[in-house]
This record gives sequence, structure tokens and C-alpha cells, in this order.
Amino acid sequence: MTVMRDTVVKALAKVQVQSDENGLIPEYEVLVNLLPVSLLNTFSERIMAAAPPERKAEVEAGLVRAAYECGYHTGCGIITSEIFSDVVMPMVTEDEKDILRGAYAAFTAWGWAKSGIVQLKEAEKMTIRAFDYYEADSGGQGLRGFMLRGLSQAFFDLAYAEPYPDGMDTYICHQTKGLEVGDSYGEFVVVKK
Amino acid sequence: MALKLEFTMDKETCRHSLNGHGVVMHSHHYLALITKLVEDLGDLGGPQILCEVVEESMRKILDDYFLKNSLSSVEDRCRAGVEYFSTFGLGKMHIAGDENGGKVRLTSSHVDEGWTMKWGPHSKPINHLTCGFISAIFSAAFNKPLKSYGTTETASIVTGQPESTFVVTALQ
Repeated sequence: MTVMRDTVVKALAKVQVQSDENGLIPEYEVLVNLLPVSLLNTFSERIMAAAPPERKAEVEAGLVRAAYECGYHTGCGIITSEIFSDVVMPMVTEDEKDILRGAYAAFTAWGWAKSGIVQLKEAEKMTIRAFDYYEADSGGQGLRGFMLRGLSQAFFDLAYAEPYPDGMDTYICHQTKGLEVGDSYGEFVVVKK
Repeated sequence: MALKLEFTMDKETCRHSLNGHGVVMHSHHYLALITKLVEDLGDLGGPQILCEVVEESMRKILDDYFLKNSLSSVEDRCRAGVEYFSTFGLGKMHIAGDENGGKVRLTSSHVDEGWTMKWGPHSKPINHLTCGFISAIFSAAFNKPLKSYGTTETASIVTGQPESTFVVTALQ
């Protein structure tokens, strides 16, 4: 058996986070927040718009970095969590490959991106396609999948780089297609840095 | 009256919403790095951009909630704002004030505690997100236009204080 995506999506989609008496959400070894999508997209566009042409790459790198570190640390908490162990791990027969399949099912279930792996060469390259992701609505010009770039890089590092927390920045992710530029899906390619 | 929470999920896209507004989970690593990014982009007005975007986004959500739930008193509106802050996992907020402004305390703070967990204490306040959130609550509670209130963080958990405090001033 390998990871049955629909089963995982259904099970994980039911997970709801709830704040404690201090208004905080400690889950997955981190503090979780729940923010309006409109806030995140508008912020990305405003901060990109504020940068002059020669500094746009710096701002873009900062947005991807925020997603990457969030994905790397929270991702480790997710794939070692009780819910992941209960729902995904019983289906894992191909180690890292299946854990990555489970991770993209989680991305889908938690509303980050309706996405999945279309090509995987272990420890070398991974191609992701996303048929819905919230950053596609940001209204900016050009490719805007900063979050999914960071998350994809993070999960490939978790799967194939040195064990957590020593494997950061081993791989890099490039976005090659985007719903936001008129393509029929977003495409993200992870390769060795 | 407790905040009414209606969580929904679009079956096709799996996007999640709270009370009709799209929401998504991230962690303190994300907000700590976004906060650091705007600090580093101070010459481009980074902190102000974050503050204004939060005020605008939260104002829409609060106005919508007040309308749908017929909240007209300042007390009920402030309470709803404070409860939204906690529901989003941003911490525990306490508001005192009137139409002319006020004082707000945080007895716990996602941004400050997240920054401290990631990098340790900092030398100055950095909670630009909450400044925008507070301005949104005040303008929405008193039916004022956006940018009617200025919010300044005067003490901060990230610098080692037991609470964060914010002074809110009506801008005329």
C-alpha cells in the first residue's frame, strides 16, 4: 500500500486548531496562527510594490524564506505529529516518497495548495503541480507562489537532506508555471542547490 | 457574548474560511520572519505597510461580523475584536479607552513569544501586526474611517517586559 491521497485529505481536513486560554495555538512544536488570506496576499503585493526594481528580488527572497523556515520547522512537527502518525504513517511503504505524498495531501487538506507530486527522482528532483493555491489570487504581476516555493523546498530538505535540523538549504525550489499568469496550473520544481 | 465561529471548507479547493473569510494556518516562524522582513525594509516603509494592511484586512472582517450579528455597542464590538485576536492565535488582548483613544495590553503575544522562541529577546518593540489590529478594532468600534487612529507600542514582551502595552490616539 502507498499513501492514498483522498483518504489522507479527508482525514486531515477535519483537523481544526483552537486557541488556548492565552489566545495562543501551540501545535506541531510551534505556535500556530490562523490569518486571513486577504491579509497575507495584500501584504505580499504591497511590500513588493514598495520595492524599487533593483530590490524586488530581495523582497521576494524574504517572502520565500518566511515560508521556507515555517515549512521546515513546522513540517518536522507535522510529520512527527500524532495525527500524521495515525493517518499517514500506516500507509507508508516507500519511506520518504510516501511521506512527501502525505505532506502534499496535508497541504491540500489545510488549504495551502491543492497540489501533488507529478515527478520524483529521489534526493535529486521533484515536480509539483498545484491546481489551486491562495497566492494565485494576490493580483500581482508575475509568478506569486512564494509560499508553495518555500514549503516545497522545506519538505524536500526534510525528506532527503541531513536529518532535522541540519538539512536546511540543501535544495531550492523554482516556480515554472502559475495560475496567476494564465497557466492551467502552478508548477514548482525542486532541485539541489 | 462569545464570538460566533463558523468554520467552513470548500469541497473543491479545500480552502478554509472563518465566518465567510478565507483563512490559512502558518506558524510563529512565518510571522517572525515577516516581522523581520519589514524591519529590514524600514527604508521602504515596511512596518507601516504591514500595520496598514492588517488594519484594512481586519476592518473588513470586523465590519462584516458586526453587521451580520447586529453588534452596535462599543463594548460588544471591542469584545468581538479581542476574541478575533485570540481566535487567530495572536494572543490575549485587553482594551481600555473611548472614542479619543485608549490603552491596550497584551498579556500574551504570538508575535513577541514567537520572535523570542526563534531568536531570543529583542532591543525594541516589533509588534507592527498588532498595532494594525488595534487600529482596526478602534476604528470599527467607533464607526470611524480607516487610519482614524494611530497605535504605538510603548512596552513589549519581546524586550523582556511582562506585558506589551499600546497607546491608541485619535488622529484628527
